[in-house]
Amino acid sequence: MFGWKNSNAAAAKLPSPEPSDVPAPEGPQRQDELMRRWIAFADMQQRVIRTLVHEIQQTSAVVETEADNLSSRFQNLAICAGQQTERVESLSRLAIGIEVDGEAVAIDRIAVLLEETLSDVVEKILMLSKDAMSMVYALSELSANVDRVDSCMEELNKINRVTNMLALNARIEAERAGTAGAAFRVVAGEVRELSGATQRLSVDMATELKAVTEGIADGHATLQRVATIDLSQNLMAKDRLQVLMEALIRRSGNLTEVVADAMKEAEVISADVAGMVTGIQFQDRTRQRLEHVVDTLRVVDEALDELKTTTAETLDVPVAETPGDNEWVKTMLDRFTLGDMRSRFVAQILEGRQPADHVEAVAAPSTTGTVELF
Amino acid sequence: MQIQIDRTSGQIAMSGEFTFTDHIPFKQMVTEIFAAPGKAVVIDLSRLDFIDSAGLGMLLLARDEAKKTHRELILRGPIGQVKRMFTVTKFNTLFKVEE
Repeated sequence: MFGWKNSNAAAAKLPSPEPSDVPAPEGPQRQDELMRRWIAFADMQQRVIRTLVHEIQQTSAVVETEADNLSSRFQNLAICAGQQTERVESLSRLAIGIEVDGEAVAIDRIAVLLEETLSDVVEKILMLSKDAMSMVYALSELSANVDRVDSCMEELNKINRVTNMLALNARIEAERAGTAGAAFRVVAGEVRELSGATQRLSVDMATELKAVTEGIADGHATLQRVATIDLSQNLMAKDRLQVLMEALIRRSGNLTEVVADAMKEAEVISADVAGMVTGIQFQDRTRQRLEHVVDTLRVVDEALDELKTTTAETLDVPVAETPGDNEWVKTMLDRFTLGDMRSRFVAQILEGRQPADHVEAVAAPSTTGTVELF
Repeated sequence: MQIQIDRTSGQIAMSGEFTFTDHIPFKQMVTEIFAAPGKAVVIDLSRLDFIDSAGLGMLLLARDEAKKTHRELILRGPIGQVKRMFTVTKFNTLFKVEE
């Protein structure tokens, strides 16, 4: 009758439910005895089945609660991962360039604009330097021309002095000639007047020429100050700015690469979290499977109940539980490593108590973050 | 700045620092070298340590003089600060610059 007795594994670990020192009855008496023992065993099986049903239901409820918690947490994690991905995307846009007047300008475009502007400045500095030197040369030439005009004026003064002297001599000779030199005297007077006018004009021209010379000298000095301003440092500023921009472009490139990697990882994390949420939602299938198991056990329980009643009706003497029938259950319960589970099984199977609602007690370890060690 | 002129080969060697203060001897040299017949004029800059913006302006005026006489002005062997100034101002687009 006890099929498990013929199992090698059960035989090695569980004691025989039959007492070895009692002599075996014979005939109909033996059959009655075996039937009573079967009924007692079926009774015990029912207790085990009901305990198992209750345990499965409680465990299923705990798993469902925990799965819901986990699912909720993973959904929060998925939202955070999505937000993180958006932030990384935003960072990616920041790494590429800057925003000016609502328009995104890439770093490399800034470098091009800067290079164009600086090249224009350099070109203008070169033109300025060239024109300044050209004016210096032109003023030097003008100064030389003025010097030559000054020499001419000097020569003109010499001629004028000689002319004046000739007019004076002619006047002396005219006086000596008396009335015969009257006409000559008039000519000498006219020449002297002409010499005086030329002398006055020469003085005026010298004054004007002096002013021109001083103006040229002042202009030359001013231009020299302009031309001697060394703009080479300003030119080299372009060189330094180009080096800085190249470094900035390299930094931007590196940052873009890092952000791109972070973006990929953020997407992978989002996908993984989404997958985990989906996976946890499949817990519903586990609950359904456990319900099927519970349903099956209940059917077996009902069948045992029915068979037990039918068998008891064939017996004259009522069936009483024998102490030996509990031994194999006790031995089985000794193998339990979870203390609280063992206590529940002892109370319900051996002591026949009704199962208590202990969902919170079972679920406690996950909320407190501890587990029972064995 | 020191200027050495080789009239037979049309080569000029400049050394030291080329600044505004050198404009008179440089002008004389340019006038002299382009007055003489010849083809290309080479200015050796391999011993020139420094050039300022006025020096660059004078080289551009020398280039204009070369164009007037249909001659080529070649700048040879710039080094250090002079080479960097030529790079920044893209002088190689205005002159034939030989390394």
